Amino acid sequence: MALYDMSSKATTESLPLTEPVLLILLSLAGQPQHGYAILKDVERMSSGRVVLSTGTLYGALRRLLDDDWIERYEEEETPRGRQAYRLTPQGRRNLQLEIDRMKQITRLATLRVATKES
Amino acid sequence: MLAVYRKLLRLYPAEHRELFGEEMLAVLLQERSENADHRLMDRGRLVMRETAGLLMGALREHFRVTEIHEELSFATGRFAMRNGFRFPKSTILFMTLILGGALVAIKKGQDIASSVPDINPPLPVHIQPVHSILLGGMPLFFAFFYAAGLIGWAILFALRRSGVHRLADVSGEPK
Repeated sequence: MALYDMSSKATTESLPLTEPVLLILLSLAGQPQHGYAILKDVERMSSGRVVLSTGTLYGALRRLLDDDWIERYEEEETPRGRQAYRLTPQGRRNLQLEIDRMKQITRLATLRVATKES
Repeated sequence: MLAVYRKLLRLYPAEHRELFGEEMLAVLLQERSENADHRLMDRGRLVMRETAGLLMGALREHFRVTEIHEELSFATGRFAMRNGFRFPKSTILFMTLILGGALVAIKKGQDIASSVPDINPPLPVHIQPVHSILLGGMPLFFAFFYAAGLIGWAILFALRRSGVHRLADVSGEPK
């Protein structure tokens, strides 16, 4: 039995997420962020393992915008060229699905490895 | 470096540039200013990463745009003549880069192959090893496809110039 509902075709096709996309979504999960802040946050969260280039970041943002997982967030007195992004309800739901999927795999892996060791 | 980044951003499809061009440039500027006091090596690595990222990003966006157009043409059944048809000139640059990369990889492969001692005993009848035939033929193969691509581009460019693609806009209904 599936632990989570993945009835949406688009969602099923999009999961599992790649690590950079997962980290970008996690970066936006707390609060709206602009491009440079996302780059730095992703680097920090992955302890420097995932370092995105600007081209890669905006390619991912473009896809996430097209799929309606994130949206542009209008801030007051935003300087030119500093656009913030935030998760949409759909994006948050899909991120939660991915986290649930990972939890399930982690649980299963822990169980299997423990059984083998004993 | 900013001028180079600007030029690289011009390789992106116009639609992407309009949406993200300024933001991307702002991010690149901020990154550059925050790394200004770093070691030369680190700054060099940053420039390399950003340049490669922009090139690959532009390539991906062009393919994405093509994919969307293909999907639309399948949906509407209009393959040959579509509105707003365009074949970006930057494709030539990408084709050249890909060809260059492929030729360098082939050369490297040949160098590695020649540096490894041949442990097989010599055959009485001289038969050319299959890999050397393949390696020898591959530059020709790539050159052929490169030439074919160029010819295709020239034809499409000429058609575009002649306005044939605008036939798609012609409506049968009198205005």
